[in-house]
Amino acid sequence: MRYADFTPYDIILLLQGLGVTLALFIGTTLIGLAIGLMLAVVHHYRIPGCRPVIVIVTEALKNSPVLVQLFLVFFGIPAFLHIRMTPVEAATLTISLNTAAFAFVIFRSGIESVDRDQIDAAKVFGLNRSQILRLIIAPQATAFAVGPLVGILVNQLQVTSLISVIGVFDLTKIGNILNLRTLQPFIVWAVIGLIYYLAAKALAHVGGRIEAALRKSVKWGGI
Amino acid sequence: MIVAENVEKRFGETLVLKRVNLRVEPGEVVTILGASGSGKSTLIRCINGLETLSGGKITVDGHDVSTKTGLVAARRASATVFQLFNLYPHMTALQNITLAPIEVLKLPKAEAEARARALLDRVGLSAQADAYPQQLSGGQRQRVGICRALAMQPRYLLLDEVTSALDPEMTGDVLRILAALAADGTTMVFVTHEIEFARHISNRIVFLEQGELIVDLPTAQFFAEDGGLAVPRIRQFLSKMKKD
Repeated sequence: MRYADFTPYDIILLLQGLGVTLALFIGTTLIGLAIGLMLAVVHHYRIPGCRPVIVIVTEALKNSPVLVQLFLVFFGIPAFLHIRMTPVEAATLTISLNTAAFAFVIFRSGIESVDRDQIDAAKVFGLNRSQILRLIIAPQATAFAVGPLVGILVNQLQVTSLISVIGVFDLTKIGNILNLRTLQPFIVWAVIGLIYYLAAKALAHVGGRIEAALRKSVKWGGI
Repeated sequence: MIVAENVEKRFGETLVLKRVNLRVEPGEVVTILGASGSGKSTLIRCINGLETLSGGKITVDGHDVSTKTGLVAARRASATVFQLFNLYPHMTALQNITLAPIEVLKLPKAEAEARARALLDRVGLSAQADAYPQQLSGGQRQRVGICRALAMQPRYLLLDEVTSALDPEMTGDVLRILAALAADGTTMVFVTHEIEFARHISNRIVFLEQGELIVDLPTAQFFAEDGGLAVPRIRQFLSKMKKD
């Protein structure tokens, strides 16, 4: 057996890479959705001074390359603030914020999709702000947002491959290592691509199930 | 008692309500007539606090709607039925009706549902309790809207052009329910274009003209030759409405 051959151990390597990719994806998704939701709520309530800041920051995050953002966070911030940052920390921070920017836009549209008239009715009947948010806005905004969110998250899963550049041992980085060892780029990258594809399909499937369940429990005729 | 004193409402440069004075005693049905854009709906929206006043004062049972605690109490005392129903689309008819009783009045769910079912029964919609608004006709939606308001057991019912979005047949259904409520002694402030109906159920009729309340008369006098009809603008309005 030559050093350059594929070995059974490579499967474990691939699984480890996939694990890192998924862990990072899930972590940044949870953080990103939480921040995005919070921004949308703050935006909705027109808290003084917050709106322009939120809009400028999210626009910047949405309209610049994630790789540039990653370099800014990994190389720029430590140099500027004289702090140390590990590749995983930089990757988590960057992708969380990037996901948050997209999630913010979707949650904001979801909130805005709820008719003002219903909110008027709820106010007149004495419901307070948090009751209106929880009982009137949230259920409708969520049903509205799930589809677009799943679309964005499938995309963000692919975006995580960029973190291999700053040295996180994710699936793409493992692909790089295998490629350099075996010098069989066609096979290596086809397999890596297939694994991403399957993960994305699985994610879209789960998202579709969640969306169907939500629409079932709120089976009014279309939004 | 609902008391509006020198109420003014401004949208930008436009003065929509000009020093409006109105009193509604418990048990009265007061109809507000006036052309489109005369400020009728705005007056209702000032009473239920959806618009803030630019001047003057409104109290409901002594609670000033321009203060935070006053508005909470005033909203507790009154309930509104809207022109476009404003139902919550993600909730069934029953859930639409029980939401505020459960969340605001803190009624137990079973009690709120029993109350809602009794109301739905009264308006002929027992079979539609679990239907979503989208599955109901306009007339049925408005009847749910009325039940939603009545479930709060308000002292005052504010009705904002509740039949304007309905066809004549559905309008009849809704008006019959309102007539029954009026006969039960429910206090109502009724913004409408249904002149004949207003004449039938109202104690008093007030007429708004470009934001000014120009006439406030007992119903019989409003339609008398030497009463409301003596005002050219009202005569013109009534004859025009009859033609339509």
